[in-house]
Amino acid sequence: MIQRLWSGIKEALGIYILPTLSAEELQRLFTTKYRCFRELLTANNNALEAMAELETALRDGRTFSMTFIRSKSTVVTVNIFKMIQNLRKMGDGRYLNLEKSFSRIQEQIDAVIDKEIIPVEGDWFIPITRVNRSMVEQTGEKMANLGEAGSLPGINIPPGFAVTASASRLFYLENNMYPAINRIFQQTDAHDIEDMLRRSEEVQQLIINSPLPAELERQLCYQFDQLLEMTDSDVKVAARSSALGEDLGRASFAGLYHTELFVDRDHLIQAYKTVLASKYSTRAMTYRLAKGYRHEDIIMCVGCLAMIEATVSGICYSSSIGGRIGTLDVFFSPGSAKGIVDGTKKTNHYTVERMAPHRIVDKALDADDASAPLSDQQAVELAKISMKLERHFGSPQDIEWSIDPTGTIYVLQSRPISVHLLATGAEEGVIFEDDRLLLHGGVTGCPGAGSGPVFIVRTNEDMVQFPKKAVLVVEHPLPEWAPLLKRAAALVAETGSEAGHLATISREFGLPSLLSLDQATHKLVNGETVTVDAANRAVYRGRIEELLEQQGKRPNPMDGSPVQQTLTEVLKLITPLNLTDPASPYFRAALCETMHDLTRFCHEKSVIEMFDFGKRYHFAQGAAKRLVDNMPLEWWVINLSDGFAPEFDPVNKFINVTEVVSTPMIAIWQGMHAYPWEGPPSVSMRGMGAIFLQSTMNPGLDPAVASNMNQKNYFLVSRNYCNLSVRLGYHYAMIEAFISSLRTERYVTFRFKGGAADESRRVGRIELLAEILARFDFRVDLTGDALNARVEKRTQSFLFGRLKVLGYLIIHTRQIDMVMADPQHRQRYRQKFIQEIEEMLSNDK
Amino acid sequence: MTNERAFKLDAALKIHLLLVDDEPDFKEILLKRLTRMGIQLSLADCCAAALETLETQPVDVIIMDVSMPGLDGIQCLKKVKERWPLVEVIILTGHASVKSGIEGMQGGAFDYCLKPIDVLELLEKVELAAQKALLNKENAKA
Repeated sequence: MIQRLWSGIKEALGIYILPTLSAEELQRLFTTKYRCFRELLTANNNALEAMAELETALRDGRTFSMTFIRSKSTVVTVNIFKMIQNLRKMGDGRYLNLEKSFSRIQEQIDAVIDKEIIPVEGDWFIPITRVNRSMVEQTGEKMANLGEAGSLPGINIPPGFAVTASASRLFYLENNMYPAINRIFQQTDAHDIEDMLRRSEEVQQLIINSPLPAELERQLCYQFDQLLEMTDSDVKVAARSSALGEDLGRASFAGLYHTELFVDRDHLIQAYKTVLASKYSTRAMTYRLAKGYRHEDIIMCVGCLAMIEATVSGICYSSSIGGRIGTLDVFFSPGSAKGIVDGTKKTNHYTVERMAPHRIVDKALDADDASAPLSDQQAVELAKISMKLERHFGSPQDIEWSIDPTGTIYVLQSRPISVHLLATGAEEGVIFEDDRLLLHGGVTGCPGAGSGPVFIVRTNEDMVQFPKKAVLVVEHPLPEWAPLLKRAAALVAETGSEAGHLATISREFGLPSLLSLDQATHKLVNGETVTVDAANRAVYRGRIEELLEQQGKRPNPMDGSPVQQTLTEVLKLITPLNLTDPASPYFRAALCETMHDLTRFCHEKSVIEMFDFGKRYHFAQGAAKRLVDNMPLEWWVINLSDGFAPEFDPVNKFINVTEVVSTPMIAIWQGMHAYPWEGPPSVSMRGMGAIFLQSTMNPGLDPAVASNMNQKNYFLVSRNYCNLSVRLGYHYAMIEAFISSLRTERYVTFRFKGGAADESRRVGRIELLAEILARFDFRVDLTGDALNARVEKRTQSFLFGRLKVLGYLIIHTRQIDMVMADPQHRQRYRQKFIQEIEEMLSNDK
Repeated sequence: MTNERAFKLDAALKIHLLLVDDEPDFKEILLKRLTRMGIQLSLADCCAAALETLETQPVDVIIMDVSMPGLDGIQCLKKVKERWPLVEVIILTGHASVKSGIEGMQGGAFDYCLKPIDVLELLEKVELAAQKALLNKENAKA
């Protein structure tokens, strides 16, 4: 009983009664532990690399997808799981609390990334006459607005019905489509337009080839028959996209989806699926990617509306874009509106006063089309409708309309123009009227200037070839070219207007664009560098810095997006480091709050497990050997596996550096001895005072207080591995590296903390270290007076060089914190360090 | 950055590798590359075929896809580890999720990797898994 109690206490205290093992068994146990240790280090390397990638993507404002977040988070969690398993093996089953902490954090991450997709409640079909704004969750934005508009007196909309969100979600879930699509996305290279085109096709085919649930198909046809009865017998419908989950204040989603025109009963099902599939057109995919939308969140609803036989069609902006204050725009051309929004048609443009009686203040007519198909009376009527819709919806509207042969005006779409998309009237700047001027004219789509080589795009093949930062030149500003806007320096089109979809998207991306510029594809030559001044409607030969200098930073289209928010939330669970001080009583498994805490904890404990093995098991091979050296410091070396030359006798208490075969240790050693230490800096009395004060405040800094690993300087080594922990004077430093022929395993890392001087001087030294390390390619993280630096998966020779840099720095930055308050001293040390390190590295080559 | 010559395989050349995947293109590319590197490799296109191979010939390391007809890769992993605990399994999946990753690791996978994967990176994982598999055998003998 007492014995059981005693062993219980010992267990609680972490003391284990170790079985007596033979020398051979001990060696095998040690080898197994070392094997676990190595696996743990590799997992640590993979986890930290993926964590850094997640962090960098957010910090640098890169474009990233859900697939990226999901993949990298999976790499992080899987590898940390592996670390925990290995640590528990090394610790003979201890550290049970790690698993609890891990599960807790992992479940939270999972919940942020993979939200469950559930069916949408409600009817599959709603007649457009019954649709209003309150039904946006069922019918999507476009149809909700159209139904609402149609309920206003004096506004006509075509008859038809909406196919709802609950219908399309059912179709997706029944066919198990989301996992299939994500699987395709995971293997898509978003930077490669060719791959995007191929994958987009693959997803669209998947959707088109999947069957509609039978009952849904039957009812869809029934709805069409009902429409036939209401109208005439050879009615055709337009199947229009009406997506849900697009935050229209932030993103236009202009022209990204397909509208299928002249659909009869036989082609209804096909047309419906085609519109659903257009959610995965290349342009929609790249747009969502750039703007940070998740495809699962955007549900496609479809409006089936009777076709209007249009004599004239157009677009109204109830508040002019780029025009005078107090006016509205009416763009129009004969026939349907398609040519205006995709920029293929030349467009007439009236500017009309917003206030009744809506005087027409300007008429810009296309020269080729002298007989304007729109009467002044109709223009005034359109202005009235526009203002009515603006008042009703409470914000400026972008309205698409058609007029039939009887003269009836039909509204086909009304949506808010988001405020930041309204280009402000560009101030006329200077035009350089010299031989640099290539072209002058057109209309500004988005003001600003950009420069790069001309690249004319006519086909999908051209699109694939499009180089980054080139000037995109096209005949028509088709929405198909949208995937190129993120990589272009400027956009120039021969036709189109500021009302076109591509112009709208260029404004969202802050990409300078110039439209309706005659002769652009003829006068501009592929490969020639030009500068496009979109605000002043000019294209110049060469690069004109003074125009480019005035450019602000382009907006990051991902800002505030759902995908960006997801990453921010995930990172909160992954990257913050709370466990920074292994000596603290809060450095405990149960207190790990993030994945970073877990890696830090596992790493720290694994090193200690290896360190303690020799002592715990009385294993001579695992005991520390004193290194023979001329430095006035004690260095001890522990062999973890194959770090000593075979001829070294493990009974010896001393070892020569020539008997060490650990390549990382040798590199550190070379760095330490590359230049003689010039001794401590001469210190003013104030500097000395700061040190004494710090020493009395923090007994842990007193070198007289011994605590196992803290007191001496230890190398833990194997052939490919070295961990050096150093307590030089008052600071703690750790260098660790694994350098083998396998890239996956390779890294160099450095930790540094503390110092004897007061905080500002200590931080002064750390900042100097951080600056030098960053200069020599380390990824550096600074928190207070703690520094972490790391570099991984580079070539072996590169990493050996970095180890020398660290070896050099830990010797030469000793005690310099005392003089760090003096900027002149700092400057002198910075120069000396950089010069000597560069010299040392160049000697290697 | 890394090229094939700079990179030495050791343990991977001493083991027998089994690739379980239903994607013919992927298998073919891998078969070609790995064979050229001198690795002994068998192929299976589903779990049942993989188990059959394990019955008839010695296998040390498996690269296992997750979504396959019949038993999926995670279930297959569990079956393999039950009967052949010394075999090391690398999960290679086209559809990553944190949850399935942990499921795989709990099932005893050596590693959980995502498609598309650079062949050299995969080779390194195979080398590491092979080192462990060889050690497993050695320890089992002792």
